[in-house]
Amino acid sequence: MSQIQSQPQLRRPAKSLPRRIENAVLSVLTLAAALVWIFPLYWTLVTSIRSDENVAGNTSLLPDEFRLQAYVDAILNTRLLTWYFNSVGTAVIVTVLVLFISVLCAYALSQIRFPGGGLLYGVVLASFMVPAQTLVVTQFILMKDLNLINTWAGIILPQLIAPVVIIVYKQFFDSVPKEMREAVVLDGGGEFTILFRVFLPLNWGITTALAIVTFIGVWNAFFWPFLVVTSENMMTIPVGITQVNDAFGVAYARLMAVAMLAALPVIIAYIIFQRRVTEAIMISSGVKG
Amino acid sequence: MGVRLSSVAKSFGSFRAIEDVSMEIPTGSFAVFVGPSGCGKSTLLRMIAGLEEASGGQIAIDERDVTAVEPADRQVAMVFQNYALYPHLTVFENMAFSLRLARRPKDEVNARVGAAARILQLEEHLQKKPSQMSGGQRQRVAIGRAIVRQPKVFLFDEPLSNLDAELRVQMRLELTRLHRQLGATMIYVTHDQVEAMTLADHIFVMKNGHLQQAGPPLVLYDDPDNRFVAGFIGSPAMNFLAARITARAGSRVTLSVEGSDHPFEAEMADASAIGSAVEIGIRPEHLRIGSAPGLAVTVDVAEELGDVSYLYTRTASGKELVVQRQGSRDRLDGTLVHLSADPKHVLVFNGEGRRLR
Ligand SMILES: Nc1ncnc2c1ncn2[C@@H]1O[C@H](COP(=O)(O)OP(=O)(O)O)[C@@H](O)[C@H]1O
Ligand SMILES: [Mg+2]
Repeated sequence: MSQIQSQPQLRRPAKSLPRRIENAVLSVLTLAAALVWIFPLYWTLVTSIRSDENVAGNTSLLPDEFRLQAYVDAILNTRLLTWYFNSVGTAVIVTVLVLFISVLCAYALSQIRFPGGGLLYGVVLASFMVPAQTLVVTQFILMKDLNLINTWAGIILPQLIAPVVIIVYKQFFDSVPKEMREAVVLDGGGEFTILFRVFLPLNWGITTALAIVTFIGVWNAFFWPFLVVTSENMMTIPVGITQVNDAFGVAYARLMAVAMLAALPVIIAYIIFQRRVTEAIMISSGVKG
Repeated sequence: MGVRLSSVAKSFGSFRAIEDVSMEIPTGSFAVFVGPSGCGKSTLLRMIAGLEEASGGQIAIDERDVTAVEPADRQVAMVFQNYALYPHLTVFENMAFSLRLARRPKDEVNARVGAAARILQLEEHLQKKPSQMSGGQRQRVAIGRAIVRQPKVFLFDEPLSNLDAELRVQMRLELTRLHRQLGATMIYVTHDQVEAMTLADHIFVMKNGHLQQAGPPLVLYDDPDNRFVAGFIGSPAMNFLAARITARAGSRVTLSVEGSDHPFEAEMADASAIGSAVEIGIRPEHLRIGSAPGLAVTVDVAEELGDVSYLYTRTASGKELVVQRQGSRDRLDGTLVHLSADPKHVLVFNGEGRRLR
């Protein structure tokens, strides 16, 4: 086999002046957009390290104080650690269950011929068109009838509906050449061998990406946990933040400190998995778009 | 018998991909299914593997009816055209996959993979991933994965068609050696009749889901049953001319060719009526060039290959005939020559394309 490797271009051709101006303008615009995006985060941070007395009416853009009192208060005087525990627990469980259920569903839809398979996939696609909000009332009544209000199960179960994950996995499995499956069959492997020892390892990137997107989605979920949980002990962080407000009057510094702590795992996850997150968002929005 | 098919059929919905195919493949032979694209060769192979369910008939391997047996339990191994290696596993793990699934002891796995790697000269590559290997090496890994399973029957579906021409010739030789070394039954699918001729000891020619003829390569070459086999086997292909039976003397018939006053003669016991329209077939190497009498043709193009040359000629009515010439090198481009053939090399086919013997 003669494989001709093309040399990477070592020197870029010099860019023309209009081209450079265009690039500069684009850079400035991108930077401006980034600033707009990051400002709330910055403002949250700045506010959270002020003292409560200093917050009201303070319009100074620069940090004029550095106090961690709000953080200490948040941790000591709110149920933040409990909410953290609830958030981590429910988010991990939802992520694991969503991936597991969806991967099995997608595999069956993609690889196994069975009566009603096409119809079932139609149902998955259709459920993808239904906005989650329209289901909320029914789901709430269901959870109430099942006595799951104020429980993890109540938070978790409705969030397991994840047609996007099924669709992404199905498209992935559809794209695997059928000989791959047949090779495993001839080697003596069954469906679970095909799925877990060959198909998924073919591209762990997809699973990682879907896990990140699902986890962030559940971590940030507010509406449903807010409805299904009334007891402070069962709240997740986004719901808990509303309690900081209620319990302390308007305590902006503390509120912002809780918000910072709430965002922390997502920020860390983003920094660690930066590339994967971008990929993940592209994969799942590719389906949506 | 290594593999026996009895009246095997396969339909996809209303489309009949394989119709009533029966064949016997002796143990230890190298069988090749050959035919144009879409004739059902792969389907037939996949039915032997168990990857497609037969719509009718029986399949037996080593005299055991496997028609309803799971693919993994048929003791067959398959090498796919696109290799279908597991890209996330190393070469060693690829070859060991089936043994590990069967929970064979570690020593045995190492020994069997090691032996296969030695045969295929893959020993230095065992820790590589398929993506780090060339096409030819990947092909070897795919074959290695089959060898490790020690199957009764090896199935190959166009395994060389993704390789470049030079490597294909080399791998062809290696497959022949491998077959000799392992002594296992091998079934090989290709659309390339040269591959079929060079590899096979038994060729099965297929067309439109039907088995056309089965036999050793040279038997198919010298003594085809029908016009399709005659035209498919051999390169350049056999020449065909429309003709009419005009006289018979014992087993010798005289065949007049349209637009030519020179008749051909053929040996034929078949009692077809005088005057019936037939087609005659003559291989390029059996056409002799001479001066009159003979079939007058003009030489269009002469391809000189050194040892042989191919003359592309045309009759007065525009019919193209290819002539193979050996030894002589004088230029004949544009000249008028006369062609004749030994009666024993003139084959006769009736209107349906069946050979008249
Ligand atoms: N799974 C299938 N569904 C429907 N038609 C098929 C299927 N597999 C093969 N065919 C058809 O059967 C015929 C034979 O196919 P195949 O055995 O792949 O031919 P080839 O001789 O080129 O290997 C083709 O016309 C093909 O389109
Ligand atoms: Mg084929």
